[in-house]
Amino acid sequence: MKKYLIFAILFLILSYVLFGQELTGKKIIEKANETFNPDTVYARMKMTITTSSGKERTFVYDSWSTNSGEKNLMRYLEPRRVKDQAILMLNNANDIWVYFPRTGRVRKLATHAKKQKMEGSDFSYEDMGSGDAFIDDYTAERLDDEKMEGYDCYKLELTRKPESDLSYPKMILWIIKENFVPIVIDYYSENYPDRVEKRLVQSDVQVIDGIPTAKKIVMQNKNDNTQTRMELLDVKYNLTLDDDMFTERTLKK
Amino acid sequence: MKKAAACFVCLILCRSGLQAQSKAELFGYFESQIIGTQLKDDFFQLFSNKLRLDLKSSLSDNITFAANVNFMTYHGKTTWNILDFLPEKASAEVSPGMEELYILPFNDRIFLDNAYLKLSFKRFDLTAGKQQISMGTGYIWNPTDVFNIKDFLDPTYEQPGHNALRLDIPVSHSTTLTALYAPDDSLKNSAKMLLFKSRISHFDISLVGIEKVWRFHDYTQFDVSAQNFVELPGKRQLLGAGTAGELLGLGIWAEFAYNWMETSDNFYELVVGSDYTFDFQTYVLVEYYRNTLGKSDYTEYSLNDWMRMMAMEQKTIAGDQVYAFIKHPVSDFVSLGCSAVFCISDNSLALVPLLNWSFSDNVEVLAYLNFNLGKEGKIFAQNMGNAGLIRARIYF
Repeated sequence: MKKYLIFAILFLILSYVLFGQELTGKKIIEKANETFNPDTVYARMKMTITTSSGKERTFVYDSWSTNSGEKNLMRYLEPRRVKDQAILMLNNANDIWVYFPRTGRVRKLATHAKKQKMEGSDFSYEDMGSGDAFIDDYTAERLDDEKMEGYDCYKLELTRKPESDLSYPKMILWIIKENFVPIVIDYYSENYPDRVEKRLVQSDVQVIDGIPTAKKIVMQNKNDNTQTRMELLDVKYNLTLDDDMFTERTLKK
Repeated sequence: MKKAAACFVCLILCRSGLQAQSKAELFGYFESQIIGTQLKDDFFQLFSNKLRLDLKSSLSDNITFAANVNFMTYHGKTTWNILDFLPEKASAEVSPGMEELYILPFNDRIFLDNAYLKLSFKRFDLTAGKQQISMGTGYIWNPTDVFNIKDFLDPTYEQPGHNALRLDIPVSHSTTLTALYAPDDSLKNSAKMLLFKSRISHFDISLVGIEKVWRFHDYTQFDVSAQNFVELPGKRQLLGAGTAGELLGLGIWAEFAYNWMETSDNFYELVVGSDYTFDFQTYVLVEYYRNTLGKSDYTEYSLNDWMRMMAMEQKTIAGDQVYAFIKHPVSDFVSLGCSAVFCISDNSLALVPLLNWSFSDNVEVLAYLNFNLGKEGKIFAQNMGNAGLIRARIYF
């Protein structure tokens, strides 16, 4: 009995060391990045923008992503005003092309365009398709664990690397310990380093095709007092997506 | 009216037929617009309504059919005398008794702007019919585009369709070869184009060769048999290149085309542009344009120069121009901006403050003013008047 008790205590200590304290900020963000950027994914999203005066705009779009978010293609379905407008993002959104169906033109955008709001929403293009940016453009430091939105979470502070040109100098993430889903992300302002500019809250986490997936996402803009809701209407993982799909030719289809 | 009803019924029948065998969509927009112009002591207004009906059908995985019909009506001042806007020196070139030929009527019309069939296979895309042809990386001016000329007041407005056969062959994921044939009255006079597009690092690059007949008119002579001004067709051969990418965080693009002319002087066009978005969401764009067909001395602008520019036969009559644009979203759905075109060759300036308002999901409003600040005879002369436009568009 004594032998079993010692074994159990040793097991608990080992588990704590291996899966608790031993997890560095870098390891946690790598695992979170995996859940955030699965290898291939198709999703149909509904995006609802709510202004400070309470007015709403709704967009529906399809998106395809491969190489863990390195290549992205988005195509609007609704409203009619932007139907068939499409955005291709390659190299973790370092190369962006936008297709305007009314004029038949494809325009290459420079990376500064990533700062622009996507159709007036609280998401910038950078928020939508930055692939491995959490790992490549930021250094992660683990802070004291916290409970957030009812989940036991790892809390990380991400600091932008000097060579990065991304918009946010700092982010604080609360990552669910159980499945590594970032449940809340605070984006800090460039001009006011101590001020949270935007907060992203994920909810309704379900396991789909073995991947924990937040079906609802809300981005709150603290400066403008506006928010944008995203609802996942459909999602498919582990698809075979040909590289031919992520070309200017497909953008026009 | 009968014609309009017939076109509409045709589209509906076409849609019903196509819907039986595939997925067909009927969509489009209604656009209502008012243009006001203050010319000396007179104020003119032109109202127009446009209904565009689009039909798009995927007949199978590889075959797409698309078409649109446009219905346009005009009200208010529907006849404009172009000579009212020209400097006295140019108007003086008009032969006595020919003044009425320079009156531009805005008549109600119905037209098929696009109607094409697209075949898409792994190795190529083939598009046949009336289709939009968009060339070049420039925002306002496109030296390599011999099919369209943009209006600097409204550069993103859709361009008309052109009858053509187009073949796009993807050579790799980033490289495409395009061949285009736009038929004219003979094989010799038909436009031919070969375009190579690729990518080097973060830069898109393109090389293009085009042969096309350029149909100028002599606006001082009238051809009675053709009931139009005398046409002066001349073959134009163009070799051009373009690029778009990023340098030091700025978006940059450039476009160049050299033109060998059969009946007039050879010339070249060059565009260099840059844009940037600040953290506070303000967007700025600057573009420089040189056209050696344009003149450096404004006193040499002739009646033909003015008329060819107004008839969109040539892009400009001045040699060097700079365009600047600034835009800032003042709320989620309203943005304010201002563009300016400065003609370096004749020191004249046009200012265009504008407002974009996304009124609802499918309704948008555009309003702009146009102030010309140059002396008489210059490309943006005060005597050409100041103007404004308000346009509401509803998509369905």
